[in-house]
Amino acid sequence: MDYTLDIGAVTRNMGPLWEGLAITLQLTLAANAIGITAGFGLALLVLSRFALLRLPAMLFVEFFRCTPAIVQIVWFFYCVPMLFNVFLDPVVMGILALGLNLTAFNAEAYRASIQAVPREHLDAGIALGLSPAQRVLNIVLPQALRASVPVLLTNGIGTFQQSALVAIVGVADLMYQGKTLATQTYRPIETFTIVALFYLAISFPVSQFVGWMERRRGVVR
Amino acid sequence: MTAAADTSALLRINDLHKGYGPNIRVLRGLDIEMKPGERVVVIGPSGGGKSTLLRVVMGLEQIQQGTVTFAGRPYISTDGRRTAIDPAVRRQIGMVFQHYTLFPHLSIMENLILAPRKVNGEARGAARDRGTKILERFGLAEKADAFPSQLSGGQKQRVAIARALMLDPKLMLFDEVTSALDPELVAEVEAVILQLAAQGMPMMMVTHDMWFARNVASRVIFCAGGVVVEDGPPEQVLGNPREARTREFIERVFHIKA
Amino acid sequence: MPMSLDFSVLLRFTDALALGLWTTLKLTVLCVLLGTSLGFVIGLARAGRNAVLRIVATAFVEFFRGTPVLIQLFWIFFCLPLVLGMELSNFVSAAIALTLYMGAITSETFRSSLRAVGAEQMDACIALGLPRRTQILNVILPQAVLRAAPTLLSNCISLFKESALVSAVGMADLMFVGQNISNNTARPVEVLTAVALVYFVIAFPLTRLVTLIERRMLKKLSA
Repeated sequence: MDYTLDIGAVTRNMGPLWEGLAITLQLTLAANAIGITAGFGLALLVLSRFALLRLPAMLFVEFFRCTPAIVQIVWFFYCVPMLFNVFLDPVVMGILALGLNLTAFNAEAYRASIQAVPREHLDAGIALGLSPAQRVLNIVLPQALRASVPVLLTNGIGTFQQSALVAIVGVADLMYQGKTLATQTYRPIETFTIVALFYLAISFPVSQFVGWMERRRGVVR
Repeated sequence: MTAAADTSALLRINDLHKGYGPNIRVLRGLDIEMKPGERVVVIGPSGGGKSTLLRVVMGLEQIQQGTVTFAGRPYISTDGRRTAIDPAVRRQIGMVFQHYTLFPHLSIMENLILAPRKVNGEARGAARDRGTKILERFGLAEKADAFPSQLSGGQKQRVAIARALMLDPKLMLFDEVTSALDPELVAEVEAVILQLAAQGMPMMMVTHDMWFARNVASRVIFCAGGVVVEDGPPEQVLGNPREARTREFIERVFHIKA
Repeated sequence: MPMSLDFSVLLRFTDALALGLWTTLKLTVLCVLLGTSLGFVIGLARAGRNAVLRIVATAFVEFFRGTPVLIQLFWIFFCLPLVLGMELSNFVSAAIALTLYMGAITSETFRSSLRAVGAEQMDACIALGLPRRTQILNVILPQAVLRAAPTLLSNCISLFKESALVSAVGMADLMFVGQNISNNTARPVEVLTAVALVYFVIAFPLTRLVTLIERRMLKKLSA
């Protein structure tokens, strides 16, 4: 291999990488804010008794879960401006695309954890004379929300990694900056490795935390 | 311990200590001697060590202290850190568990013949013949090619007993084998065990079913707090216990004055 | 809507799209087969007794699960030829990257399915005196594979979706072809929607199949 490693080429140019990381984190946190809240609302629609609400919601969820994220993002960036005649800041578009994707996956997570609350608990609530609203607020929601935290975190980290895809449509995130730097310095090995380590440095602790959380709750993984 | 006493005991447990971790002691110095042909029922409160005792005898657990001999041969011993279990002796003991533990991916017949083929090298045809005979004895012949998920709890448990019997054990252990069954399925399993008892199979059993215990036992041991509290014929331990603790337990379970 | 949609533009490009789809499918199936085998080996290493193997395998899995697939792809595409000192074709690079990724995620599947086979099954094996080889080959492994089946299918669907990323390194899969056509015809809505639908039409029935297999499997193993 006639290629000498020169980490310095990267460490001397960390500025753009930090900027890119800032954009990436912005994308991730904003998309998660959307995904965690809208996902819950969507889950309620999916569980609704009214087919008029339930079927479109289910279609939404299935569509985002059964198509590649890159297709969703490219579609968003090229089609939304044309269709709706709006021109948004690329970062905002990225947040929306990632946010909608995450909403669908989180809706699944909420749905599963709501349905996982044992029937017996609801029966006990009925036997104790609680009204339907009280049963939902005091029995279903606390348990469902607590159970969904690990999955929401895992999905959140998934979005963090998926945010790298916006580099393909030209958003100046960490991935984009990394690719630019690699091309400029002709040092792909060092650059890409360091960028990968950036992502790992954030993903790994969170996934370890999720694992710890699940072990504490006694979930068998 | 004289030579005569040695050969007349089927199972001899000496000063058995078993715990989990540094703080939990489940068995605290158990001494039990089982004669050939005896049917021992072990009763007692939850956590008193009954199931653990059975698991130790089956060679499933590590022990901290004590020895177990079987038919005069050393079986289980320990140096305090590692437990030595003689697999040749272990093979002569069979066990049936509370949750059947059949192999769900194999048919009933395959469940029965797996061990004879792989442990004893028995030919498939010969094993199948013996399997068919045992299933016929238990009234389950038509289930030979069914899968465990298609059987009722009582049927699964009877298959579990049949599977253990295929290896011709010299001692059978039953760990709460009817506790997980619907009441109407309990009788068919107990009938099979009574059949075995009538044929002279030595057995050690843990059960909550006191009426069944009375029917099948030739000897009852009341085990609480990891030690033997009372040990004697069923009429005594179940009907007219000598120890106050036993009396208390029996009264609580039977709701009568013993 | 300020513009009109014209889906007929797709008719001109059905051949190109079909070719792209064929490349996607070829790549997916190849990487599923290689990746699952790799995942099985890694899963064994992670559950095994050799500490060195265990640590290496775990590091591998954590790396591939903790970084974007895009960067894994870029690394294999741009860096591996430099490391190996030889040129790699698009297809080979993509195949290597996706196989490694599939290996990482399936190893997790195998690891958890091995753990899910209950401890009582081992008790029954010991009580019957089964030799170790029989315990593993005839009792534990078949149950682990059955349990892994639905999740493995899920992993395959994930790989199918991730395969769209190879378009970013210039490989002519369905997504790449679709993007090209969309750029050439300036009709992104029709073309990209059609591309999305093709992925959907393949992935969606498979997700239903996963649910079906899971139900069947749980029923069979519920004994």
